Order: sequence, then C-alpha cells, then structure tokens
Amino acid sequence: MSAQQNLNFLVVDDFSTMRRIIKNLLNDLGYANVTEADDGTTALPLLKGGQFDFLITDWNMPGMPGLELLKQVRADERLAKLPVLMLTAEAKREQIVEAAQAGVNGYVIKPFTAATLKEKIDKILSAQAAA
Amino acid sequence: MSESLDIDAYAHAVAALAAALASRDQQAFRTALSAFDSVRDGEVLTGVRKVTVELQSALQRFEVDSRLIGLAQHQVPDARRRLAHVMKLTSEAAHQTMDLAEQCTPLAENIAGDAAKMLESPASRVAADAQVVSFLQRVVEGMGLLRARLTEVRLAQGFQDLTGQIVGSVLDLVDELERALGELARITDAAGGMAAKEQTISRGLGPTVPGVGKGDALAGQQDVDALLQALGM
Repeated sequence: MSAQQNLNFLVVDDFSTMRRIIKNLLNDLGYANVTEADDGTTALPLLKGGQFDFLITDWNMPGMPGLELLKQVRADERLAKLPVLMLTAEAKREQIVEAAQAGVNGYVIKPFTAATLKEKIDKILSAQAAA
Repeated sequence: MSESLDIDAYAHAVAALAAALASRDQQAFRTALSAFDSVRDGEVLTGVRKVTVELQSALQRFEVDSRLIGLAQHQVPDARRRLAHVMKLTSEAAHQTMDLAEQCTPLAENIAGDAAKMLESPASRVAADAQVVSFLQRVVEGMGLLRARLTEVRLAQGFQDLTGQIVGSVLDLVDELERALGELARITDAAGGMAAKEQTISRGLGPTVPGVGKGDALAGQQDVDALLQALGM
C-alpha cells in the first residue's frame, strides 16, 4: 500500500447516496480511510479536530454550504493548505470563478465519471507533492 | 360615499326653474321641475350602480380568499408531502440498487479469481483442454467487465442527488408559497407582496434544469477545466 493510499479523506455532501458513491469510488481507487459529513457545519469541527489530508465537498447544502466551508478552511491556519476538491452540480461560470478565488484546488461537476474523479484527485496530489 | 355632484346639470335645471318662476309660466315650471328630478334620479342611479359593483367585487374576493385558504391548508401541504415522498422513494431505490451492485461485485471477483487460479495452475486437469481454457479466459475477462459495469451502475445512482436537489428547491418554493398564501388568506387585501426567497450564488443554485433559470451555466466538465485553466489553475 502506497503512502498516498493511507490518506484520510473527508467527503461532505447532504445526500447519503452521493456520499456513498464517492466513498465507494475512493475505496476502489485504494483510499480506504473515508469519513463522511452531511454539510459544512458538521464538517468543520471534524476538519479542525481530525487529521484529514483531503476534502471533497458539495456546494449546495443546508446549513453551511461548500463555498463557505472552503473559505473557513482557507481562513484556518492549520487547514489553509488542505487540498479541497469541489464536487457539485453548481455549474455557473461566476460560481467556478468564485470557488477558484476562494482557493479551491479542483472542481468537478455532477454528474461525473470515476475517471474524472481519479484524474482530479491525482492532479491535486501531484501538484501538492511538487510544491 | 363622496360622489361629486353634477353641478352643471343642477345649475341648468335650477336656472330653468328660476326662469319659469320669474315668468310665472306653469308649463315651463313643470318641465323644469321634471328635468331637475331627472338629474337627481341620475345621481341616485350612479350611486346604486357603484354599490352593486362594490358588492360584486367583495363577493368575488370572498371566493378568491376561500380558494386561497383551500390552497394554503390542503393543496400546498399535500404537494409538499408528495415531493418529500418522491425524495424518499428515489433515495431508497438508489441505496437498494447500490446494495445489490455491491453484493454482485464480490461474486464477480470470486468467480474471476477462481477461473484465474485454474488457468495459472499447470497441474490442473482443465489446463490441458483448450476449450475449457478458452472458456476460463472469457470468464476472467467477462467478470472484469461486469465489475466495471457494476461500478458504473453505482455511479449512476448519483441521479438521486441531482433530482433530489431540484426537488428540494421546488420544496423550498412550496414552503414559501404556503407561507405567502396563509398571509394572503388572512389579509383580505390580496395585493400584498409575495417576496420569494432569494436564491443567492453563495448558497448554491442547484443543478442546471433545462428551460429554468437560463444563465451562463457551463455545459460540461471540459468547459469547467477550460475555465479553471484560463484562471491559472
């Protein structure tokens, strides 16, 4: 098992079906450590208290939406460098620009393929390794 | 009722009366008095007509109010329950499909694993039979494909998230409608503003729905990648 496969993922989505799909795909990719949260409000304390290496978050969620979660993550000194992949149905140009400005590392729109998810995660991890 | 008088008509009638009086002309006086009465009758008729229109309008508003109360108390909550049920059913169906796909995956893996073992074992009796070897190779290959398709089946259950988000936004609208209708039913003046809950970009707009809220939504992942690249990512 490679060091990367020991990475701890946090998957944030208000739909249990989508959390399960992402978790299964991550497991298929060899990432066994996947924790779930159903919105930004429940995710943030987990992120602050845990040792997460990668955050995959939806945008449109009750409570704290994904964009706000991203901003809170970037505002936290300990979490500022955490890789964040936005996985969402939000597809407006200005939203993607806003997410990029807020410091997102990758953006995948739903519906997505397993190959796209893998490609974006690999890209983010290799960019992080090169930094 | 502050209906303005038709002063000119009265002035004309009074002047005719005054002239008839001055000339002591009885016939002219009767005619002028009759004209004066006509002016007064006309005024009363206008008043009656106005009251009738107001009464009709009040009755119509009462019917509209009754309909609004019906909508607020029955139809709208009913619509909400139906939509919530659709969310529940699609969620259950998606999870059940994933359960079944997950149960099938190890079956395919085990069959493929056993076939591969038989192929790899030179001492195996089957290894000598070309037909059996060919079959086992097809089993390994087919099970690999089956496993990949099962992954796609699980991924396809993402429809529940997308449709659920759309139904969720309609549910928000229904809640807002119910609140507004309740207010409308309480206030007889139905002209009050119905401020829809404003959807903001920062909260998220939900999945793109054809024909709804046409904006600058991107068509697919390739467009997103191109935009991010243009932004220097």
